[in-house]
Amino acid sequence: MEKKVRSTCPFCGVGCGIVLHTRDNRITWVDDDPANPSSRGMLCVKGRFGVPFVEHPDRLTTPLIRREGRLQPATWDEALNHVAEQLLRFRGAFGSFASAKATNEDAFVQQKFVRLVMGTNNIDHCTRLCHSPSVEAMLEQLGSGATSNSYTDYEDASCLVLVGCDPGSNHPVIASRMRSALDNRGTRLVIVNPRRIDLAERADVFLQPLPGTDVALFNGLARCILDEGLEDREFIQQRTEGFAAWRAAVEEHTVEEYAGAAGVDPEALRQAARLYARPPARRGLPASERPGSCLVWGMGITQHSHGTDNARSLINLALLAGQLGRPGCGISPLRGQNNVQGCGDAGCIPDSLPGYQPYTDDAAALFEETWGAGIPRKPGMKATDMVERIASGEIRAMYIVGENPLLSEPNLAHAASLFRQLEFLVVQDLFLHETAELAHVVLPACSFAEKDGTFTNSERRVQRIRPAIPRIGQSRPDWEIIADLARRMAPRVGIDPRQFAYGSAEEVFAELARLTPQLRGMSYERLDREGGIQWPCPTPDHPGTRFLYADRFPRGLGKFVPVRQSRAAAELPDNEFPLVLNTGRVLYHWHGGTITRRVAALVEQMHEVPLAIHPRDAAELGIAEGDAVVVRSRRGRMTASAVVTDAVRPGSVFVPFVKLQESAANFLTNNVYDEPSRIPEYKVCAVRVEKKRPRPREVTGATPTAWRGT
Amino acid sequence: MKVDGHETEAAGTLLDVILALGIDLPHLCKDDNLPPIGACRTCLVEADGRIVAACHTPAAAVQEVQTRSVRAIELRQAVLRLTARMHGREPDVSGGPRSGELWAAYAAHGLERPSYPSRPRSAVDLSSPFFEFHEEPCILCGRCVVACQQLQHIGAIGIAGTATSARVTAGAAVAFAESACTACGSCVAACPTHALRPKPLRATHRPGDARGEEG
Ligand code: SF4
Ligand code: FES
Repeated sequence: MEKKVRSTCPFCGVGCGIVLHTRDNRITWVDDDPANPSSRGMLCVKGRFGVPFVEHPDRLTTPLIRREGRLQPATWDEALNHVAEQLLRFRGAFGSFASAKATNEDAFVQQKFVRLVMGTNNIDHCTRLCHSPSVEAMLEQLGSGATSNSYTDYEDASCLVLVGCDPGSNHPVIASRMRSALDNRGTRLVIVNPRRIDLAERADVFLQPLPGTDVALFNGLARCILDEGLEDREFIQQRTEGFAAWRAAVEEHTVEEYAGAAGVDPEALRQAARLYARPPARRGLPASERPGSCLVWGMGITQHSHGTDNARSLINLALLAGQLGRPGCGISPLRGQNNVQGCGDAGCIPDSLPGYQPYTDDAAALFEETWGAGIPRKPGMKATDMVERIASGEIRAMYIVGENPLLSEPNLAHAASLFRQLEFLVVQDLFLHETAELAHVVLPACSFAEKDGTFTNSERRVQRIRPAIPRIGQSRPDWEIIADLARRMAPRVGIDPRQFAYGSAEEVFAELARLTPQLRGMSYERLDREGGIQWPCPTPDHPGTRFLYADRFPRGLGKFVPVRQSRAAAELPDNEFPLVLNTGRVLYHWHGGTITRRVAALVEQMHEVPLAIHPRDAAELGIAEGDAVVVRSRRGRMTASAVVTDAVRPGSVFVPFVKLQESAANFLTNNVYDEPSRIPEYKVCAVRVEKKRPRPREVTGATPTAWRGT
Repeated sequence: MKVDGHETEAAGTLLDVILALGIDLPHLCKDDNLPPIGACRTCLVEADGRIVAACHTPAAAVQEVQTRSVRAIELRQAVLRLTARMHGREPDVSGGPRSGELWAAYAAHGLERPSYPSRPRSAVDLSSPFFEFHEEPCILCGRCVVACQQLQHIGAIGIAGTATSARVTAGAAVAFAESACTACGSCVAACPTHALRPKPLRATHRPGDARGEEG
């Protein structure tokens, strides 16, 4: 029997519409969905060809319990009763990671379980490792932690400024939409990246700063704007506060000094400033509209020991130029995972309730009334802190859903030694990955292709996923497992088990929408009828919101926050470790690779971790294209295959953090953190590279193009 | 306006109007997701007495359309026969991408499938791990070229040469794997004849075994 099921791509935060074609319950083809407003009939290689991972023979099919040191199959009853007994022992020393790959419904039930049954706010997810600094800065300065605009604004903008991101590899369909703006509308392009990404070929200005000098660079840009009087005075006066103090801080240095600190040409910096603040109108822009600029950024901004300062310096720029609150402008921290926006919206963060509502009396009261019990008011621990505090015994048990921290945490050897100290670890996932192998109980979850639910993409669009194939083995949707567990534990902690008696994902969504003002107008019925809707959507007749901040910021006035360049990074090169390691991603693999390592075609396309190195450094080290190399830091080592390219700066190397052939960049990265976001400094650490004794290896086709940039 | 005697709203192109009425009309080079190309001429209809390609004729200027007039049908049969002469063996892949459109049009026009002449264009490109290109069934409709350039804005595919030597190529006549292709698969989805076709999605990889993975 053949079926076609409309759903949403499970890989990145673009959130493309897909149509799963199946025959006899197997996926035969993944089609694009021209009706989807986020992807408009496009997909990238992962969405189109990467989905078969859901049918991989490695899928977990039964619960596993560790007995006599080995994980052995068990029934659901055995496993859940065991977990219930154990977790009750660890109330007060418990933490939980939710999954940005799971649905809003899964996330909502999980945070409810953690807050209500475990009595703690120790819940977090991988946003801690990607955009927590952006969220901190946006909440502080604007009052809302989301992308302010929509993809369609990239096409309406007159200038795009891309900072520390590589959409061609990581948000490919957004890259296509940006290229369409360049091709069809003559949109200007400014790129800031220490690595020359593919899109840089099309840039009007390409700035390649020294690692960790972002604050200097953006203060420099601001200084150019001020010097030339390009700021939006009306906007500053009516919509912002703190301008004078911020201006004084920026004016401590000249454009030349800032450019020197960042290692870029001051003239290029001035040109970038003019393009951002006052771009020439794109083709077809009505004369009555002011040409807009979109400021788009990625992990290159956030994953630093001063990530929050970096993000603040960008938001200051947007306020200065008044590039907010109109069509064709705005700020976009590009979200990585398919549902990293939704996982936070649904409350899987330690410092607020669903919908980013604070633990204050009036907000919490609504939850307590609905849930019929008190909820903890003390903010919980952040993900990176939970891991570090295993050492002190503050965290003794963890419940990890759909994450593999033993690929994604920095300094993996250190992280593994901590996870081994846990007294009780439950992992719920699709595959028996590195973290699951250490677990005491492993619970098999369904993939996106087997369940109902919603994902929220990078432009705040809530979109449906729908079951296309039957559940694999005894796997169950995450929300269903957690609700079942919660019902077993609830009576023991004085909670009414009916709080977890959901009959469907739709019922969960209805509760989430009721408790979350920005989702309140949404329902499955609407999502099925109208397609995805962008929050805020407060009422059932509200059409959803394309861009935020049209006439006010959620905190009232936008706030300028003075920032000054601090030490570029916690660890800088020296004689022993003379090169700077920068990490990132590639088009053909997904993050750590737990999923894409299981897709034959993707592995065929890229089966070794590449290391991009500048020809000058390569020549000095006697390394040629394709050589196997060993990379060492103070924390670990890995092997990689050299790609010699002037796309990286001399003195820097770039390695994607996917794990292939047991090599992973996170063995090298540094577990130092930004305040207040507690994001690790993935983007800069010091390494040494040397050639490995050569041995014969199989050769595949050419270097994939989205990595031609190497 | 009127289409085959039905009153209807004149919006978009003639093809939009015709398909909206549920009338079956071949349109081999027009993808629902892409701008019209106007290369294949399989969408010919009679509009106010003139023969036009429905896919790129605006409906607004037309009063009356006949998709089933003898003249229109005979012309489309001739075009389909010519197209089929360009077209070699096509694999019988059911399911999969939008496909089989030529033979569906054949059947709808009462034509018998021809036996295939030997064709000069028979290149095969298996270089991508994700999809394959078999030149034999290619009818040079140009959908893949437009999908790559005007949808994804990559521009990895072009048509090289003219007349009987025209052929679809990746980059400057290189293999897909060496071109700017990012394997987004939009060309595969657009191809009406399976000349571009996905490799089976079945094969799955186990970390730890097979190529390149050493423990
Ligand atoms: S761009 Fe992102 S959401 Fe779209 S198909 Fe690719 S991975 Fe999926
Ligand atoms: S569909 Fe009209 S010319 Fe091809």
